[in-house]
Amino acid sequence: MSILEAEALELEIEHPSGLWRDAFDRLRRNPGAIIGAVIVALFLFLAVFASVAAPFGQNERVTAPTSTPDGPSSEHRFGVDKQGRDYLSRIIFGARLSLLVGIVSVAVGLSLGLLFGAMAGYFGGWLDTAIMRVMDILLAFPGFLLAIGLVTALGPGLWQIMLAVGITNVPQFARVLRSSVIAQRESDYVLAARSLGARGRRLLLRHVLPNSLAPVIVQATLAMATAIIDVAGLSYVGLGPNDPSLPEWGKMLADSAARLETGTHLVLFPGFAIVLSVLGLNLIGDGLREALDPRLKS
Amino acid sequence: MALLSVRDLEVRFSTRKATVHAVNQIGFDLESGESLGIVGESGCGKSVSALAMLGILPKAGRVTGGSVEFGGVDLLKLPDQKLRQIRGKDIAMIFQDPMTSLNPVLTIGRQLTETLEKHLDMDKDVAKKEAAELLERVGIPRAADRLGDYPHQFSGGMRQRVMIAMAISCKPKLLIADEPTTALDVTIQAQILEVLKNLTAEEHMALILITHDLGVVAGVCERTNVMYAGKFVETAPTAKLFSKPRHPYTLGLLKSVPRLDAARKERLEPIAGLPRDLRTLPPGCSFAPRCLYATDRSRAETPELHTIDSDDHLVACWNPVPDADIPERHSLEDPGAS
Amino acid sequence: MIKYIVRRLVLLVPILFGLSLLVFVYVRSLPGGPEIALLGERATEQSSEAIRKDLGLDQPLPVQYGRYLKNLASGNFGSSIITRQPVMDELKQRFPATVELGITAILIALILGIPLGFLAAKRYQGFLDHASLGASLIGISFPIFFLALILKWIFAVKLGWLPSFGRIDATIDLPHPTNFYLLDAIIDTNWKAFVDVLKHLILPAIALATIPLAIIARITRAAVLEVTNEDYVRTARAKGLDPSVVDRRHVMKNAMLPVVTVIGLQTGLILTGAVLTETVFAWPGVGSWMLNAIRNADYAVLQGGILFFALITIFSSLLVDISYAFLNPRIRYQ
Repeated sequence: MSILEAEALELEIEHPSGLWRDAFDRLRRNPGAIIGAVIVALFLFLAVFASVAAPFGQNERVTAPTSTPDGPSSEHRFGVDKQGRDYLSRIIFGARLSLLVGIVSVAVGLSLGLLFGAMAGYFGGWLDTAIMRVMDILLAFPGFLLAIGLVTALGPGLWQIMLAVGITNVPQFARVLRSSVIAQRESDYVLAARSLGARGRRLLLRHVLPNSLAPVIVQATLAMATAIIDVAGLSYVGLGPNDPSLPEWGKMLADSAARLETGTHLVLFPGFAIVLSVLGLNLIGDGLREALDPRLKS
Repeated sequence: MALLSVRDLEVRFSTRKATVHAVNQIGFDLESGESLGIVGESGCGKSVSALAMLGILPKAGRVTGGSVEFGGVDLLKLPDQKLRQIRGKDIAMIFQDPMTSLNPVLTIGRQLTETLEKHLDMDKDVAKKEAAELLERVGIPRAADRLGDYPHQFSGGMRQRVMIAMAISCKPKLLIADEPTTALDVTIQAQILEVLKNLTAEEHMALILITHDLGVVAGVCERTNVMYAGKFVETAPTAKLFSKPRHPYTLGLLKSVPRLDAARKERLEPIAGLPRDLRTLPPGCSFAPRCLYATDRSRAETPELHTIDSDDHLVACWNPVPDADIPERHSLEDPGAS
Repeated sequence: MIKYIVRRLVLLVPILFGLSLLVFVYVRSLPGGPEIALLGERATEQSSEAIRKDLGLDQPLPVQYGRYLKNLASGNFGSSIITRQPVMDELKQRFPATVELGITAILIALILGIPLGFLAAKRYQGFLDHASLGASLIGISFPIFFLALILKWIFAVKLGWLPSFGRIDATIDLPHPTNFYLLDAIIDTNWKAFVDVLKHLILPAIALATIPLAIIARITRAAVLEVTNEDYVRTARAKGLDPSVVDRRHVMKNAMLPVVTVIGLQTGLILTGAVLTETVFAWPGVGSWMLNAIRNADYAVLQGGILFFALITIFSSLLVDISYAFLNPRIRYQ
């Protein structure tokens, strides 16, 4: 869990109405969030239109394989790699992969976390205790180490990795949603809805969940940033996707890490691609957190 | 020479969007041992005036004019270091909410002794003994045993007693109490006022009591200033103010105080409308938009304080309340509803 | 206070049990199972059978779990298949390396992060505030191994100011009674060794400290901003106390509460970062040891490493709760 996520845990949302519009107004005035949005939009564009934006194919050989690949030139702006592939094109196709990794692993963490958290928060009692104890035990493992352990058990494919990173997010999402649901459950408007006869599943889906979403959205943005870093880290320690043709940034960086001297560009470009995309997401998440924090309203 | 002499004090708050004219050229004198009430709705600038005099305004606020002479020295011109030697020693302040005004992670004893050590140069042991005596004076039982306790172990009323003990610890010449009873239960309010009254009398301290509740000043203060939109609109000896309120706003305040002896059929009359927006200051009386007595002149020209009835009764109004409109029942005999 | 600590310790028991069960199930679910792991590719039908019997794997699972618990309690974590050393022996050498690195990193983060956050709050919306917020956000966005690689490349390889790997120069002879090399050097009063160990520590510790530093600075800033607006700070100012006393005694004492909580959350980050940093700087700690274990399918070592990391995380969160209670009288006197 990153700090931004830790801070996001503290978000309490009390006022359902007007919140979103206020938040959007504040977000628009936050230069950091704007920069973040521009960065993320750029990466989104590259990911979606990779095949158009990239000058070459992701596995297309443009020069002969060499152990001392050329650095940036006017023809290959980011240089070429040892297999003689255009590095810029691989970085651009890598955006697609990072986006996929971020979305899938957050989706996994989110759906499981929401399920457990909402159940624990809404039904309370022994179910709450049981679920949260399991989450506590999972939290005893630092997220990345848990991912290492899971990948070791599941095997080193791209999907297994995304699943593993997603599972490490479950406890955080469960916690956020649980505390949010508990706060909502006791709030006046839910009591009012209950007194009017709404109950059970309907109450949970129609009233409680929508109003618990703000902290979850912040958490999801930041978790996506963490997921990209974690997958890169897994690649670096040799637990990345085992398909060498995949242009995964962490893997590209790791493959050349030992050769910083001769292939500087092979390390720096994917490295800064990771930093930039993660920074973009963090800026948005941070801006969202500030915008949605009712305590900062003034 | 007066102990405290405030002239044309002016405070502004700058926010991103606008400048708020919180205090607009107020002035008053206070003799040693005298007690003065400042009464007005929340947001009228009464607390801000006090903070400005002590030089502890929040960051957004600044004093833009006037003088605050205390013992012949203008506090507003003093460098902060000199001002700190007066603050807490010669002028002390009590705040509204005793639940949040004490530091939760320091013991009561420490919060008392730090003032004594700073201003009276006491060493730790002497300060501790003095602190216990102070707590005793404000009516805290087993005072010596409680020095090691933390604020959360005290009730609201007891915490306000601690605040008072802290404020009087250096025998200040002037005590400013900002809504000292507002956050407390009614029964506790009377006790705290009693403590304040007795201590100021015993130590011959001057007192400025800031409140929104006319009932509170009634039993404690010799004079009362009524404040509206950052200005004093009426000032008089408290008894006169209650029997002959001349400003329509003062009358409105008096009519909205609940009374146990009031006849059933008499109803409380709230003052219509909202307090003034202090971001713009058009000419004319600030109260005019809410005032039943407002004339064309009220809306065009800003009234200044001038004497009415007698030398010690001033009002800022073009069309003061006539005798016929003043109800009989307002007297000093029943201060507050306690 | 003592009651509070005891209660916290009692609460730990179910977590520890759950944890041991989880690790037990986990190691048995790894591809190939322990016998393959122990024998590697050479496993045959008979040797597998023998190993299974040897390890008690032919017993029912609850019996196995009982035996495993007994072993853990007596500090028997099994032996590495690569070095044939008992895991516990190797852990005793490697864990001080990780702890030394981790503590140095946390210290750097605290010593720089708290004043930085404090200053940023004091200059709220000023240049320093914006600059430190921006820098911390960038710091958080760096994958730690990338940062470590860059540091190593610039300061060790290019400039040659600092060593690029290991804990101590191979030519220096230093006895290791504690395996905390800084302590060892002090005990041996060998200042040359002390300086050398320090030089080896700097780069990995800085790499490891970056993210906690950014986090601590942010939290301190937020906490100071919040506390500065509290009524009791106004009270302190009304008392005529010097600004430095107000800041120290009234602002910082309260602002430290959330900071302490966050320091607790850093343990996980530090351990995670340790795995990656140790790899970059060939630091002989638990992190790089575990990664090797994964590559070599050395599951006894892996199990030991996982348990070690989990225990450290759990106990540091306990430590944080206790120090929080110590700082916050409202909890202490419950």
